[in-house]
Amino acid sequence: MSQDDASSSGARSAVRERAVAEMFVSLADTLVDDYDVVEVLDHLVRSCVTLLDVSAAGLLLDDQRGRLALVASSSEETRLLEVFQLQSNQGPCLDCVRGRAIVTSEDLETDRGRWPTFVPEALAAGFRSVTAVPLRLRDDVIGGLNMFSHRAMSLTEADMRLAQALADAATIGILQQRAVHRTSVLAEQLQLALNSRVSIEQAKGVIAERHNVSMDVAFEALRRHARDNNLKLHAVAAGVVMGEITPRFGGSG
Amino acid sequence: MADHQPDRWDELLREAALAGAGQAQRIAELCVEMLDVTGAGISLASDSGTRGVICATDDVAMRIEEMQVTLGEGPCIDAMTAGGPVLVPDLDSRQDLSPDRWPAFLAGVASAGVRAVFAIPLRIGLISLGAMDLYRDRPGPLRDGELGGALLAAEAAGLALLSLQTSDDGGLRVDDDGKAFQSQVHQATGMVMVQAGVTIEQAFLLLRARAFASGRPLSAVAADVVGRRLRFDSEDL
Repeated sequence: MSQDDASSSGARSAVRERAVAEMFVSLADTLVDDYDVVEVLDHLVRSCVTLLDVSAAGLLLDDQRGRLALVASSSEETRLLEVFQLQSNQGPCLDCVRGRAIVTSEDLETDRGRWPTFVPEALAAGFRSVTAVPLRLRDDVIGGLNMFSHRAMSLTEADMRLAQALADAATIGILQQRAVHRTSVLAEQLQLALNSRVSIEQAKGVIAERHNVSMDVAFEALRRHARDNNLKLHAVAAGVVMGEITPRFGGSG
Repeated sequence: MADHQPDRWDELLREAALAGAGQAQRIAELCVEMLDVTGAGISLASDSGTRGVICATDDVAMRIEEMQVTLGEGPCIDAMTAGGPVLVPDLDSRQDLSPDRWPAFLAGVASAGVRAVFAIPLRIGLISLGAMDLYRDRPGPLRDGELGGALLAAEAAGLALLSLQTSDDGGLRVDDDGKAFQSQVHQATGMVMVQAGVTIEQAFLLLRARAFASGRPLSAVAADVVGRRLRFDSEDL
């Protein structure tokens, strides 16, 4: 590495360190008393895309019924959601959760045989490489953090460590800071998070139809309303479906 | 992931689907057959205000359901309020339970020999249908695979209650294409609610009925709604 490369990479890493620190500070801010799990997880997957060299990120949780369910995604784009959900049956995230270890593919083109159903769908959605990091809780794995890139690539060792730190933060978020000494508490929290996500999907549909906007715009309106009024995302979703809340649109809607 | 025997459950729940009006009862019986529990009961409690005991596998299970409906307190009431399961593996353990949480309920079930209760809400996002209680005459947690089975059964029981509340005769079709409970189905439910001017429960039933009538997977019908290729306007209903 030349000296110029080294100094510019040093500057980049300083910028990144600050961004990482800011992310964890803002995460700590959201993990106050009565936070919304989906909001925290949503924040985490968006941070993945900002901080790591990836194009999309999503969190899938073990629904305790033998499937994986999507609970947060960096974008609401349908194609992406499908690629995530496909992995309930096959794919790197399922392998990661079952095998309790990080699973990567630096180039999906060469891994068609590994996941015959998943790879063509992922490629068709414009992705070339994938990383899945387990959400660990002692001996258990409760889900996976799944990241895609448009390029054939692999995460650096430092990025991989950060990805695991983000996955660990997600586990803490799901457990709602409780000391989990009973498996029943974990089961209760996982089901709550999953159902909360379903409620948000229903509310997105209501907003998308009522205001003729995309799911992305609908979700952003939900989040903005929650933030501006200091409400939980889940409570806003319930209010929208009950017809008690009508989020406003700032320009884009 | 733990081994949940999902195939065996799927198979049994599909059989239960053929039982018609007795669906909920059959699902409760399956729980007693498949899980290490003594009895099971299912109660209806929808947002539209309908509530009552649907079924129970024995007298104690019936008492657990009735007490909660009458007293307005207990694990299944909490499960419905919170939107997640309330699992109490040992009703006598101070670690699991504060004694002032459900005073009247606890007094009532202790005399009936109930030592563990597992309450699971029957709901799909904001569609609230009721709850299922499993009880055991001995303390101890549900094992990993058992919890998975109980959750699958609760999913099926929720659909059975949904059908009971309406004239839906589409039958119970658990997770009909292996991926029914996915984002687009829920998004489409919200869209149909607005298009047809109905409640969220009714919107979900409309989607399922359309899937059934057209012989297509629920997820495909939902994708058409989200892709704005299919509408459910009130004049079409």
